[in-house]
Amino acid sequence: MEPHVISNVVVVLVLLAGFGIAAFVRRNRMWNDALRELWRRRPVAIVVVAIYAGVALLDSAAWMGGVESGEDVVAAHEAKSVLDRLFLGTQEKSYSAPFADAEFYGGADLAHPGSHPFGTDILGRDVLYLTLKGARVALLIGGLTSLIAIPLALLLGVSAGYFGGRLDDAVFFLISTLASIPGLLLLIALIMVMGQSTFSVCIALGVTSWVGLSRVTRGETLKLRELDYVKAARALGVSQLRILVRHILPNLMHLVIITFVLMFSGLVLSEAILSWLGIGVDGSWGQMIDQARDELTRSPIIWWNILASGTALFGLLLAVNFVGDALRDILDPRTLRDQP
Amino acid sequence: MDAWVRGWAAALGLAVAACSNNPYPDADTSRKILYTNYNEAPRTLDPATAYTTSAHAITGNVYDTLLEYHYLKRPYELIPGLAEEVPRAEPQPDGSVVYRFRLRPDLLYQDDPAFALGGEGRSTRQIVAADVAHELMRIGDPAVNSPVIEPFSNIVGFRAFSQSLAERREADPAFAAKPPVEQYAGVGGIEGVRVRGERELEIVLANPYPQILYWFAMPFTTPVPWEAVAYYDGEEGRPHFSDRPVASGPFVLEEYHKQARMVLEANPNWYGVRHPEWQAPGATYPSEGAEGDAEAGLLDPALMGRPLPFLERIEFRREKESIPAFQKFLQGYYDASGIIRESFDTVIREDRLSPEMEELGVRLEKSVIPAVYYLGFNMDDPVVGRAGGERARKLRQAMSLAIDAEEWLRLFTNGRGVPAQSLLPPGLYGYDADYENPYRRVDLERARALLAEAGFPDGIDPQTGKPLQLTFDTPDTSAQGKLRYSFYVNAWRKLGIDVRLEATNYNQFQEKVRNGAYQIFPWGWVADYPDPENFYFLLWSEMARTRNQGPNTANFSDPGFDERFLAMKARENDPERLRLIQEMRAILEEERPWIELFHPEDYALFHGWLRGVKPAGISNPTSKYRDLAPALRAEERAAWNQPVIWPAFALAFLAVAVALPGVVTFFRERQ
Amino acid sequence: MLAYVLRRAAYGVLVVLGVLLLLFVLFFQIASPDDVARRALGEKALPEVIEQWKANHGYDRPLWPWQDFSNNMLFEHYRSMLTFDFGRSDADDVVITERLRQGVGPSLALTLPLFVAGISVGIVLSLFVAFFRETYIDRVGVWLCVLGMSVSILLYIMGGQLVIAQWLRWFPISGFDPDPSVVGRFLALPLVIAVLSGVGGDVRFYRTVFLEETNRDYVRTARAKGAGEIRIMARHVLRNALIPILTRVVVAIPFLFMGSLLLESFFGIPGLGSITVDAINGNDFSTLRTMVFIGALLFIVGQIATDVSYALVDPRVRFS
Repeated sequence: MEPHVISNVVVVLVLLAGFGIAAFVRRNRMWNDALRELWRRRPVAIVVVAIYAGVALLDSAAWMGGVESGEDVVAAHEAKSVLDRLFLGTQEKSYSAPFADAEFYGGADLAHPGSHPFGTDILGRDVLYLTLKGARVALLIGGLTSLIAIPLALLLGVSAGYFGGRLDDAVFFLISTLASIPGLLLLIALIMVMGQSTFSVCIALGVTSWVGLSRVTRGETLKLRELDYVKAARALGVSQLRILVRHILPNLMHLVIITFVLMFSGLVLSEAILSWLGIGVDGSWGQMIDQARDELTRSPIIWWNILASGTALFGLLLAVNFVGDALRDILDPRTLRDQP
Repeated sequence: MDAWVRGWAAALGLAVAACSNNPYPDADTSRKILYTNYNEAPRTLDPATAYTTSAHAITGNVYDTLLEYHYLKRPYELIPGLAEEVPRAEPQPDGSVVYRFRLRPDLLYQDDPAFALGGEGRSTRQIVAADVAHELMRIGDPAVNSPVIEPFSNIVGFRAFSQSLAERREADPAFAAKPPVEQYAGVGGIEGVRVRGERELEIVLANPYPQILYWFAMPFTTPVPWEAVAYYDGEEGRPHFSDRPVASGPFVLEEYHKQARMVLEANPNWYGVRHPEWQAPGATYPSEGAEGDAEAGLLDPALMGRPLPFLERIEFRREKESIPAFQKFLQGYYDASGIIRESFDTVIREDRLSPEMEELGVRLEKSVIPAVYYLGFNMDDPVVGRAGGERARKLRQAMSLAIDAEEWLRLFTNGRGVPAQSLLPPGLYGYDADYENPYRRVDLERARALLAEAGFPDGIDPQTGKPLQLTFDTPDTSAQGKLRYSFYVNAWRKLGIDVRLEATNYNQFQEKVRNGAYQIFPWGWVADYPDPENFYFLLWSEMARTRNQGPNTANFSDPGFDERFLAMKARENDPERLRLIQEMRAILEEERPWIELFHPEDYALFHGWLRGVKPAGISNPTSKYRDLAPALRAEERAAWNQPVIWPAFALAFLAVAVALPGVVTFFRERQ
Repeated sequence: MLAYVLRRAAYGVLVVLGVLLLLFVLFFQIASPDDVARRALGEKALPEVIEQWKANHGYDRPLWPWQDFSNNMLFEHYRSMLTFDFGRSDADDVVITERLRQGVGPSLALTLPLFVAGISVGIVLSLFVAFFRETYIDRVGVWLCVLGMSVSILLYIMGGQLVIAQWLRWFPISGFDPDPSVVGRFLALPLVIAVLSGVGGDVRFYRTVFLEETNRDYVRTARAKGAGEIRIMARHVLRNALIPILTRVVVAIPFLFMGSLLLESFFGIPGLGSITVDAINGNDFSTLRTMVFIGALLFIVGQIATDVSYALVDPRVRFS
C-alpha cells in the first residue's frame, strides 16, 4: 500500500479514537472531572499541545495530484499533505535570513522575497515548513513507541501482578534484566543491530521504555487483586478475563496515561541524542539541530535554523511537561512520585 | 587511580585560582613543540597496510623511505632518502627491467627493546637492504592483507611468492607456526628482489612499470626490522606491531593514546642528526624551490641549508569536532589549520585573507589536491549500467547534464575546488585546462531530450507510468551528510527522475558494494603518486569492484579502454602516452560511468610563528621541514586569550536581585 | 540480615546472567561473526584472512551449546565477560581491558566531581526553594526547573561552548590532559554544563520530597517546641529525606555514565563514553558489548548496595 494511504488511514483512526474518547469522557464522571480540572489549571499548555497535534495531522493527510509542476518535476507525481501544499513553491537557492529579500551569502534576489518568517536553510528550503513538519515526526515517535510499549507493559505487568507465581517471577526477572541495562546504550545496541530506520528507532525506544510502566502496573495490580470487590467477584465465580477487563484495567488507566505523558518528553529528547549519533529519524527536530550545529559558528552567524527547531522542540516538551505534572497531581498524587 | 583523584582535587583548586583556556602545561610554552590535531586515530600504523591520510601523518614521519619527493619543487621530483641515489631503469634483453638501490652507510633504527632479539643487550642496529626486502615480502604475505599488492605484482616472482606461502601454510601446520621471517626464507623469498650485501638491493620487474619508483617514496616500502614484527606480537602486554612503529625516520612515536593524543619526538638515531656533514638531500632544508616559494617565505636564508629536523616534538591532539579545533587555532593553540566551511567567511574575503586574520599574522596557502570526487554508476546494474545499452548510456548522459558541481562547491565548500571536466586533476601529466566535457555542464533542455530518447520522457518510466526510480547509496548517515547528498537528488528531480537517497553507515555501504546491490554512489580518489595511471586504473576492468574487489567501484569494463590503459601504463611521458590518455578520456566522456564533480582545493592556514610550511600534496614526511618561534607564539597567545569576567558577576547580581525581595519579605512576615 | 544480603546478591548474579544472554542474542545471533569480520577487515579480505581473524578473536566456534557443548560461543561469551577478559577490539585489535584502563581515569575525573556537584547543587537549591514555599521564589524556581528540563542536552552543550568558551574565554573549548596543572581547566566547562542541564529535574524532585517531609507530624512538633526553621530544615527534614534521595542517586549512576557519553564526545575527553561513541561510529561490536555489560553491571551493583542499606535502616524490608 502507498505510504500516504496508510498515513490517511491513521489520521482517520486517530480522529475516530479522539471522538470515541471524548464520548466516553462525557459519560464517565471521574474522567470528566479530572479533565475539567486539568483545563482549569493548564489551559495554555493544552492549547499548545493541541496546536502541535493539529499541525501533525495536517501533515499526515495527503493525496495525489493537483500540484503545479515547477522546477521539481517529480513532485507532481507524489502525494502531498495539506502542509506541503501550503508551502508549495517556497523553494529558494540557499540560505536567507528571516523576512529577507536577498540571499544571505552573495545577496542574489530571492524568488519569494520577505515570505520566509524563519528564513531558509542551506538548500533553500523554508525553515518554518521544515520545523512544522518536525511536529509530525515527534508525535510519530511518541505515538508509535507507546503503541509498542503500552500494550506490552500492560500485558506483562498486569498478568504478572494478577496471576503471580512463576509468571510473576519470570516477568519480574525480565524487567530487572532490561532495567539494569543503561537505556541509551541498549537503545544504541538495538538500532545498530537492527539497522537504522524510523520503525527500528521506535521499536528500540519501545523496548527500552515499557519496563518502567510495566513495573508500575504490576505493583498496582498486586494491590488491586487484594481489594474486597475483586475478591468478591472471584468468589462469585466471575471469569478471570472479565475481572481483568472490568475491574483491574480501568483502575490502571490513569497510571498508563500519566506515565505515557511523562515518558513522551524523554522519548523525544532521546531521539535528539540518537540524531546526533547519526541513527535518528529523518526530518526530526533533533536532526535539524544537528544539521544546524555547525552553522552557529558561521560568521555572520546563521541562527534561525537552530532557533526554529530548538524552540519547536522546547515548546512541545514544555507544554507536555506542564500537562503531565498537572495530570499527575490531579489523578494520582502518590503512586508515581518516585518515577523519574 | 589514586593519582587521578589527587590530581583532580589539586587541579580544581588551581583552576579556580587561574581561570585560563590554555590547554597545555605552562612549562611547555617555551619549547619547540608543534601542536596539531586529528579526528580519528589510524586503524593501523603497520607500514604494509596503513593507507589513510591520518596513518601516513605518523608513518610518513616515523618510517623513512628509500626515495622522497623534493619538498618545494613542482611538478614533483624524486630525491634520494635512505638510498644514495635515485636509480635508473635498466631494461634487460628479455623485456624485464632492473632497478638498483644502494643504501647509505651507518643508518640506525631508533632505540627499541625489540632489538634484543637479535643479540643480548642490543638496543638498535643498522638498517640494511634485507629489511627492505623483508617489507616487500610482508606486502606479498596474504596474512598481512596489504592493500597494495597489485602494483608490486610487476616484480618478478611476487605473485608466486604469495601463492607458495599460502600453499605451504595450508599444507604444513608446522610451517605455519614458524615466525614469518623463517616462513619467507622457507619459500625462498621473492625472485625479483635480490639483496646484494648489506647495502645493495636489486628490484627486477617483469615488464616496464616506470611508476614503481613512486612506490619507493611511500611508507609501504620502508625498511622494517624482523625483530620488531616478531617482538611486537600483542602478547604478554606487548603492543601489536600495528600500534608500535620502530622508527627509521626523523621522528619517534613517543606516546600513542588513540583516544587522546599521539606524540612524536625527534629521533636522535636518525642519519640527519648523526651525520649533518653529509648534507643529504632528505635531511637538509632545500635551497631551491618552485615559482612563488621565495615570496611565500619558503626560501628563507635562516632555513636554507640547515640540517633537519627543526622541531623537538609534535603533539597530535584528538579533536572529534571541527569547530573547537578551529577555535583553538584562532586562539593560537594550534599552529596550523585547514579552514572549516562554517568559518570560511570570517577567514577569507574576496579570495584572500580577511583583515582580521591578517591582523593576527595568519598566512594562507592554497593548493589543489591531486584528487577527484565523482558520482559513479554501477555498470553491472540492469537499469543504469551496461545491460541497459544505448538507453542506459543516454540516461547517464542526461543525469550528468543535470549536476552543477560549481553550485555544489559554492554551497558546501565556499567554492573551494575546481569543477572537474575529466578525472585528471590539474598538475598531472595529461591534464588539459582547455578541455571541455560536453556532458559536464548544466543543460536541462538537452538532458530532457536525451532522457526522452532513452525512453523516459519527462522522467516517466513507461513500465510503471511513474517517475523512474533509482537509488543513490551513500556511506554517510549524519544529518549534514544527508543535506549534501540531497543537492544531487534535487537536481535529478528537475529531470523528473525520482532518486531515493539511501544513507547507510560505511560498513553497510561496503556490504552493498560487495553484493553489487547499488545503482549510484558518491566516491573520491586521492592520488598515491603524481601519474595519470593512478587515476585511469580506477576504471580498468581488472580492478572491478564486484568481481575482483578492486577500486573500480563503477565496475566499468570496456575492451578499448583496457587496451589503451595497458599501453599507457607501460610508457614514460611522451606524445604517444598523451594520445592514449586523450583517447581514454573520450571513451569516458561518452560512456559516463562517472559524473566527475570536482578537484578539491586545500586552504591551509598557519600562524606567523610557523615557518617552512608548504602544502604537502602527496608527499608524506614533511614535518621535518617545519620550524617555529616559541617566544613569539607565547606572546601572541597571551594577548589573544584574556578572559571576559564581568558576566559572572552580572549573573550573580541578577540572581540576588531577584531572590532578595522575597527573602526579606519572608523573614519580615515571620517576625 | 546475612540471609537477606545473600539472597539479594544471588538475584543480582541471576540478572547479570540474564543481561549477558540478551547481549549474546543481540551481538552474536542477530549480528553474525562473519559480518563483524568483514566490517573489520574490509571487503578486500580473502576468505582465509577472514577465517584467521575469526579464529584470533575466538569467533570461529558454533554459537549455541546444543551445537557443540564443549566448544561454543555462548559459554565463551559468559566466560570472557565474567572474568573481565574482554578480548580484542573488533575494529583495531586493541586489547579492550587496556582501553578501558586508559578510559577509566578521564571518566572518573569527570563523573566523580559531577556526581558530587550535581547532588549538592540540587539539594542546596531545592532546600532554598522549599524553605520559601508558597512565595514567588518557589513558583519562579519550579517554573525555571520545568523550563530547564524541556531543553535538549545538545543545546546546553552547544550554547555552553559558544558562550563560555568561545565568547568569554574562561576555559578551553574542549580537550583533556591528565597533567594535574591543567586538568581542571578542561573539566570546568563540561561540569558547569552538566550540572546546569541536570539541575532542573533534580530540584523539582528534591523539592517535592522536602515539602512532603515538612508536612509531617515530627516537623510540626519540632516547630511547636520552638526550633528555628533553618534548624528544622537542616536537622530533621534533610535527614529524613535522604532515603528517597538515595534511591534517585543510585538510579542516576548509569545515567551518569550515559550523560558522559555526550559530554565526553563533545569535549574530547578520552573516557569510557568517548570510547563508546567511537565504538558506535566504528562498528566496533566487541567494545560496544563490553561497555553495555559494564554499564549494566555498575547499575546492578549499585542497586544491591541501596537495597542492602535500606534493609539496614528498615528491618521490615528484609522480610518482604
